[in-house]
Order: sequence, then structure tokens, then C-alpha cells
Amino acid sequence: MKYWWKFLGIGLLLFASIAALRTPLSPALVHVSPDRVAPGPAVVEVLGYNTNFQKGSTVGYLENAGQRVCGSAEVIDATHLRLTLEVPAGMKDHLTTVGIDQLRYDGALFTEGLGSGIESGACGPGVNKIDLSGVAFTFPNRSILYESIRNLHFHVPMWFAMIFLMGISVVYSIRTLGSNSLEHDRASVSAAQVGLVFCALGLITGAVWARATWGAFWTNDVKLNGAAVTGLIYLAYLVLRGSVQDAHKRARLAGIYNIFAFVLLVLFLFVVPRLNAIDSLHPGNGGNGGFSDLDLDNRLRAIFYPAVLGWILLGVWMFTLKNRASKLNDQLDR
Amino acid sequence: MKYFTSLALLLFTLQAKAQNAAPSWLEESLYGNGKINTVVIVVAIIYLGIGLWMFSMDRKLSRMEKKLKP
Repeated sequence: MKYWWKFLGIGLLLFASIAALRTPLSPALVHVSPDRVAPGPAVVEVLGYNTNFQKGSTVGYLENAGQRVCGSAEVIDATHLRLTLEVPAGMKDHLTTVGIDQLRYDGALFTEGLGSGIESGACGPGVNKIDLSGVAFTFPNRSILYESIRNLHFHVPMWFAMIFLMGISVVYSIRTLGSNSLEHDRASVSAAQVGLVFCALGLITGAVWARATWGAFWTNDVKLNGAAVTGLIYLAYLVLRGSVQDAHKRARLAGIYNIFAFVLLVLFLFVVPRLNAIDSLHPGNGGNGGFSDLDLDNRLRAIFYPAVLGWILLGVWMFTLKNRASKLNDQLDR
Repeated sequence: MKYFTSLALLLFTLQAKAQNAAPSWLEESLYGNGKINTVVIVVAIIYLGIGLWMFSMDRKLSRMEKKLKP
């Protein structure tokens, strides 16, 4: 079976894409109304996501500086609750957490005046009114991200595939310098061309995701600019090749440039964004936690790694097609 | 910590935006239904990108076929 890795790639992509789109988000509280409270009786409407609240009432609480006050929460429908309680005076922190049963919404409510602390009441273990059955395998439900957390399995593998292809490209470049073989040079440029396709896809999908989470398609973030500059460096590699007529001279020149290009790729994508002096919005960079913080039970990883391997295999397949077509084309021109 | 601060600040600006004006068609489509449409757009872009690459490969093969004919 000569084609086994191609079938493996298709299978992995099929599995990862379906799982990435079909896995439900874990239940969470996503909105409260009103969003600020003052001492006195209060009614807070709570909106849940994928919560499947059961009819009846359950225990709800406010938590401020580690101290709790309890109230009763009346279920309106599967995603709506009404929390009725007496807000105490003298809350210590501006932000109060709203809790319903086992679900928490950190910093949901804002209070203007501050006091020295409230008296804590013990909330009894209320009747469990949140049906968590049937949601055994879920993705983390993170505010701001919500369903867009699934993009982890589409946007990020683009970059893994791109880096893998650029790695193939630089390996063939080094071999070109050693062997002076035009075959190796052709493989090097084919890999870089397919790598640029994945770079473009990574940049565009990243921009769409950024619009949905950060509010802008492009920010002057070190990770974003580093990725864009890396793309430009490899575009310059293709331009450089186009500007040299003699094939052997072109192979040597492009080979040397490609080694520098790969070093810059590593610097711009991995080293510079992680310098401590630099702030970055992008997860996993500049003092910013990656998704691994959210993924305590490895559920994202179980889909993410197959997706990465699948996209890398597809990228390698595209590279071999491109390389074979270029080879035929060169033979036809001869 | 920086992560949470920046996210919190962003959340506030988004909320302020949402309160001030009706959301644009773009925000409605990106933020609606728990932001699932963002995923739809991202997947569509990837399909389109791979599709475009297939077209370029197709054209390359057609040109080679033309060279073979005479």
C-alpha cells in the first residue's frame, strides 16, 4: 500500500473536521441582566448556554471576595433563570460572581461602592436542576470565544502545515547546496509554494477569528506582524528565483536565501512573540496563556493533534503533486 | 493576568459598542448564535483556498497537455 499515508491524512481530516464541528460546548452562564447591583432586594435574569435547566427552582448565589450570599433561582426555560436574593451592603470587590448550582459566571455583576466585606451564608447543596447528562464530551465554553473555540482545529493546523512545508523546503535547500542538483532545488521551491498557500489561509482565517474575538481584522500584534513578515520573506524567495536566469546559479542563491528565511521564520513565529518584554493578544504569546490552560481534560487536544497531522499530510501530498507537475513541465520544456 | 485584563477590557468595549448602536450586519453574523458563524466562515475560506489551489494545478496540467500535442 503505497498510498497509505494519503488515506491516513483523509481519514484524520474527516475525523477531526466532524468532531471539531459536532462536539457540543460545555454548559455555561453567559449573560446577566442587570449587570450591576446595589444593596437591597434584587432580581437577576441569568442567561445560560447549552444549560438545559430543568423546571423548578435551584440554588443560586453571589460570591464577592470569597464570601457568599444565597438566593433562589427559578427556572424559566432551558437557558433562562431568575435569581432572587437580598444583596448585602459592604461588598469588598467591585466584581461579583454569579453562581447557579455547579455553574459559575466570574465577575458577572459590578458594584460601585465598596465596603469591608459581607457576612457569608452557607448555600445548601441545592436540588440539581442542571441536566449534564448527554454532554459527556464537550469543548470548554469560554467567554468571548464561545463556539469560535472550534477554530482551533482549523486555523492553527494551517500554521503547522506551513511550518512543516517550509521545513521540507529548507532541507531540500541544504541538499541542493551539497549536491548542486536541480531536482532538489525544484523540490525546495515546490514546498515553499505550497507552504505559502497555507500561510495565506492561516492569515485570512486568523483575521476573521480576530474580528469575532478582538473586534478588528488586524491589530499591530507582534504575532500577527511576525506571521505577515514571514509570508513576505517567502514571497521574496520566489521573486529572487524569478530574477536569476542561470539555473545552477539560481539554485545556489535560492538555497542560501532559503536557509536564512527559515531561521527568520523560527525567530518571527516562535522567539520574538514570546519575549517577556512584548505584550501579545494572541494566545500562547507575550505573557498570554495558550488554549492549554482551558484544556484541562485534553478534550481539545484529542481533536487538535489528529487535525494537525491530517493537514500536514494533506500539505505534503499537495507538495508531491506540485513537485511532480513541475518536473514534467521541465522535461517538456527541454 | 495580562490575558484576563486585556480580555476584560475588550469585553467592556464590546459591551459598550453593543449598547451604543445596533450591531452591523458583520457583527450580527460574526457574533450571532454563540459565534458559530465565525467557524463557518473560517471553514469556507479553507475550502475556497484549497479549491483555488486545485484550479491552479488544473491550469498547469492543461498547459502541459497543450505542449505535448504537436
